[in-house]
Amino acid sequence: MVVLKSLHPPTEGVRHQQADTTAELDGLKLGCGTLCVAETRLLWFDDSRKGFSLEYPSIGLHAISRDVCSYPQEHLYVMVNGKVGDENETEMGAADDDDDSSKEDDDEDGAITEIRFVPSDKTALESMFSAMCECQALHPDPEDDESDNDFEGEEYDVEEAGGEHGHADIPTFYTCDEGLSALTQEGQATLERLEGMLAQSVAQQYHMAGVRTEETKAEFDDGMEVDAAAMEAGQFEDADVDH
Amino acid sequence: MESEAAGAPASGEVVNSIRERTISENSLVVLLQGLQGRVTTVDLRDESTAQGRVLSVDAFMNVRLKDVLYQDRRGRRRQLQDLFITGRNVRYVHIPDDVDMMKTIQNQLDKIHRVRSFGSEGRKEFSKKSN
Repeated sequence: MVVLKSLHPPTEGVRHQQADTTAELDGLKLGCGTLCVAETRLLWFDDSRKGFSLEYPSIGLHAISRDVCSYPQEHLYVMVNGKVGDENETEMGAADDDDDSSKEDDDEDGAITEIRFVPSDKTALESMFSAMCECQALHPDPEDDESDNDFEGEEYDVEEAGGEHGHADIPTFYTCDEGLSALTQEGQATLERLEGMLAQSVAQQYHMAGVRTEETKAEFDDGMEVDAAAMEAGQFEDADVDH
Repeated sequence: MESEAAGAPASGEVVNSIRERTISENSLVVLLQGLQGRVTTVDLRDESTAQGRVLSVDAFMNVRLKDVLYQDRRGRRRQLQDLFITGRNVRYVHIPDDVDMMKTIQNQLDKIHRVRSFGSEGRKEFSKKSN
């Protein structure tokens, strides 16, 4: 027996929403509703807002199935570790701890739930799938000890970037993408200030050299000012530039 | 999973995330990332298997496959167009026999280092990105 809960779908962080989608839990058809792929959880609910939600860490795999021989409709297949909508599952609130432990037990048991989301619009399957991939990637396995050990804040410490070999090969310069994503708010403000200063000084340089043409300007203004600023700032450090 | 002495290194794209690159270069997941484009089999924790072409493997060992033959733990087979396996659910990834594992690992590490040192090679940032 599947117990559906009253849900309050999130308003933020919704990567994809697909209406007119039927859900089937371990072969049990739940009727037509809406699939909501949010960054925090995956939800499905019918017109009366009753449905179920899934935590991404509990999702084992998801896939697009177009094999109408095994199942007559093209659908999004999701395999969940544990039992979803279990009548033994208690409601939210204080029962959250219980939910977690019961889910872990299910996981140990190897119990799984097979869910099929069948949208009426089959062309939406790719988007539904991609949205789930993105959200899944936002929830890496916290039990994985290795990843915690390997990523430490000190990797950006220029002092440690002694040699070029092995684990001392730590980035001292950032590409456009890297730099931006590594900035804190303070860093952002500093960057903006430096960019402004640089823009002024670069303008002066070219004026002094007297060779600034429109083409030259275009060549250097390809959106890489951020790099230039980072380079200028970085060169004050005792970074090893010669390779 | 042993490979022959001589073999071709497989290759995969390097992800644009510092954290993922760091995790990858410090674990054998780089080997799996080097399998991008190859057809192989992934054994899952629940004893099901998925055979298909590797689209990508991220630092958390999440595997994306396409054109997959999936066999569930009861032995039922079905085809899946696109499959995403959560890293935690991966038990084994088969390495094709003709893959030179050491070269593949080295190739991936080289890629990571190239991406990382991109900004330090003088004014190279003004030239077109070739990575």
